Amino acid sequence: MTAIDTPLPGTSDRFPMIKIVSIAIITFVVVSPLFLLAVASLKPDRFQILAEMGSFKAFWVDNPTLQNYRDILTFSGNQPFARYLTNSMIVLVFTLAGGMAFNSMAAFVLAWGRIPGRAIILTAMIGLYIVPQESIVLSLLNIVNSVGLADSFSAQILPFWASPLYVFLLYQFFSQVPRDLYDAAIVDGASPFQIYWKVFMPISLPALATVAILLGIETWNQYLWPLLVTQSNYARPISVGIAGFFGADSIYWNLAMAASVMMMIPVLVLYLMFQKWFVSSVISSGVKG
Amino acid sequence: MLLPACAIVAFFLLLPFVLSFPMSLTNRRLIPRPVRFVGFDNYIQVLTDPIFWRALFNVTYFTVLVVPVQCGFALAMALLINQKIPGRNFFRGALFLPAITSIAVVCVIWGTLFQYPTGPLNQIIGFLTFGLAGPIDWLGNPNSSMPAIVLLSAWQAYGFQMVVYLAGLQGIPGDLYEAARLDGASTWQRFRFVTWPGLRQTNIFVIIITTIQAFKLFTQVNILTQGGPRDSTVTVVQYMYSVGFVGQKLGLASAVAIILFFIVLVISLVQRAVLRDPK
Repeated sequence: MTAIDTPLPGTSDRFPMIKIVSIAIITFVVVSPLFLLAVASLKPDRFQILAEMGSFKAFWVDNPTLQNYRDILTFSGNQPFARYLTNSMIVLVFTLAGGMAFNSMAAFVLAWGRIPGRAIILTAMIGLYIVPQESIVLSLLNIVNSVGLADSFSAQILPFWASPLYVFLLYQFFSQVPRDLYDAAIVDGASPFQIYWKVFMPISLPALATVAILLGIETWNQYLWPLLVTQSNYARPISVGIAGFFGADSIYWNLAMAASVMMMIPVLVLYLMFQKWFVSSVISSGVKG
Repeated sequence: MLLPACAIVAFFLLLPFVLSFPMSLTNRRLIPRPVRFVGFDNYIQVLTDPIFWRALFNVTYFTVLVVPVQCGFALAMALLINQKIPGRNFFRGALFLPAITSIAVVCVIWGTLFQYPTGPLNQIIGFLTFGLAGPIDWLGNPNSSMPAIVLLSAWQAYGFQMVVYLAGLQGIPGDLYEAARLDGASTWQRFRFVTWPGLRQTNIFVIIITTIQAFKLFTQVNILTQGGPRDSTVTVVQYMYSVGFVGQKLGLASAVAIILFFIVLVISLVQRAVLRDPK
């Protein structure tokens, strides 16, 4: 992504101030819905939120309060958000742990292993990644139900421990590693697993970060699959929990806003820490067609 | 080391995919029940259901609107921040924020922006037209519901296309701009004759990716409108969901799933053919 940071030659620079100010204004307008969300989440009254949304008061809160957050985290009736948030975290951590391990191991073997049927497996993987998740979910639900994983964490974790897209992304990266590195490790008497773990993993941090970010965002934002597979609050993630606000006749916008901010915070923190990797990893996801 | 990934892909991706073909030829339900082979009845039922055709029309309509809106906006933003200004990375980072926002959250935000009659969007419209244009019941009116979904979808997702366009813009050789400038080309001419042809591959790529995503439209519709009002936002996936999950008719839904798969497959094949074409 460093290419993006080098200025484009040939762009004129006659009115720098006007340009910066107008870009700043446009950026603010485009991003302002997120700002409104944050502000509204600090207003305790849902009618006040709606009334002020259409005015400049939407950008301001006179008496900021964390009441919505308190309400939503301590409320344990129909929509236990503390539970939803924990559920999402559990699914995220276990999906990432397994996904990183299994995708990278498979990619390593496909790139460097000498096993029969390697080409066939690789072709099958590439072929399978045009199958959209949407077109298999109901069939998958049927399978998951019949093996007794209905309404479980496992049903939200196991299927995402390996994916053709991520195997393929890592395979591409691993194949570009110079042959000498692999040969040298073999000469040193390293086992395939040692080569994978001690040689390939450490030098593949950028590719691993890309996959971790893509898999992480995908998992955190999953909606269709958890909607189908979770029948109770037991393992329901926060995305489905937030959607639950919309079922009611009158929406508790104040609570919905607070829940939304809470759903955004983890992603936002990681984004601020690893912004460049986020941007470049999303480009890699475009490989998926 | 290869085994876990292969087992998982085989069991959770390949198996459900393969099974959905025979399943689409049965009257299978989500709850266990004796299953009967029904031939192509499900396909006939789907293809003669006016709601399915409405769904197909709706996603096509959505695609036709969202592709130019989202890609055009992404290109505009990419051109905007592809300039020599201080704090460029900051602006890029800020403009990318919607792309990392979950759709459920986007629905909460835009749900309030769309409020009728006093929501911010209606206020802005009223202000810009001096009150001539009345407030729009964005999500409640069948005429505006899909455009409303388009707006929020484009806002959520344009960040991806923006960074792809940025990369594309960086790939255009700088001396082309220099040459154009020496020839006295205006800003518009430089865009029209240097930038636009230089983005040809990027454009094709971005448009096809966006099209595929558009055909899979589901989450925002499921959360905000459940396909309504009056089926104006039913999509193929939403239709499949209501038939197969709400209606429990797994066999019938499998037929929809397979039709969806072939739609995506055809778009992917078109993508390959077009991208391989060197000119």
